[in-house]
Amino acid sequence: MSSPSFVKHRPPSEEAAEIDVDVSPMISMFLILLPFLVSMAVLTQLTILEFGLPPNVSAGLAAGGGEMPKLKLTVVVAPQFLGITFGDRLLDSLAALADGTYDLDRFATALKSRKMEVDANDEVVVASRDNIRLKNLVAVMDKCKSAGFARVGLSSATEDPRAGE
Amino acid sequence: MPRPQRTGRFSEVDDPERSAFRPQLTSLIDMMTFLLVFLIKSFSVDGNIITPAANLELPISTAQTKPRVTTSIEVSKTDVMVDGRSLAKIVAFINVDSLLIPAVYQWMNAQHSLYADSIEKHEVLIQADRETEYAVLKRIMFSCSKAGFTDFTVLAQKKE
Repeated sequence: MSSPSFVKHRPPSEEAAEIDVDVSPMISMFLILLPFLVSMAVLTQLTILEFGLPPNVSAGLAAGGGEMPKLKLTVVVAPQFLGITFGDRLLDSLAALADGTYDLDRFATALKSRKMEVDANDEVVVASRDNIRLKNLVAVMDKCKSAGFARVGLSSATEDPRAGE
Repeated sequence: MPRPQRTGRFSEVDDPERSAFRPQLTSLIDMMTFLLVFLIKSFSVDGNIITPAANLELPISTAQTKPRVTTSIEVSKTDVMVDGRSLAKIVAFINVDSLLIPAVYQWMNAQHSLYADSIEKHEVLIQADRETEYAVLKRIMFSCSKAGFTDFTVLAQKKE
């Protein structure tokens, strides 16, 4: 004769359904981690683009003149076109697109090919007209850097190319 | 008597010891896990050492150089500012023939004199709105260069 049992035995499937995982420590950990990570999250990555004044300008400011600066490849940024010049020679000219932007991939290709032709091929001067927006200048300077020019100078492009004659 | 089935968000248990309120936490943990993964992905030990002014839309650049702490000048759509304080209104100098902005020059000159080796060249970080015209930038650069700052950096948003 079997002794009477006071323990209620349930079927195994029902026992499994009753198991409850204690998630309180996990939630506590989340609550500590989340504010910390939110405070350290960088949602917008910032960068800087370095440029200088053209050597003749900065040298002139610093020393009041001196020897003649070397001729450099110059990128002229105008509302209607992007031009690549060397001295008084216009090497390439790309018309602006209908929306006012430029075909920067074509420009980069042209710049790379012209880079090989000049002597000072680690420096370029970006010469901008007055009404060019900073976003367009940054895009052009980016392409100059990616074309292999380590140093970029920024200067003004005259509205009238013959003004200095 | 058969045990009542779990019907939804709360267990209906007739046992008085087990009748405590038991919220369903699965969805909360799911959400926190997603959030945690996203935040770990965007976690940066360095952080941004420079906080751009709130009303600026920075240009987008592919450059990879990290910002460094240096003398900084902010150019919004209407003002040239330093530490959130307006130095000059753009409308006040944009149509003037002279490239020098006196207020900017004086402030930059004061900054330059703070350096012990003030003969050396120093760098200026320009935080400017992406729609700023070069006509504004050249006046600022000219004023800075007159004060002895000939190296410039422009703050941009990194292209993903």
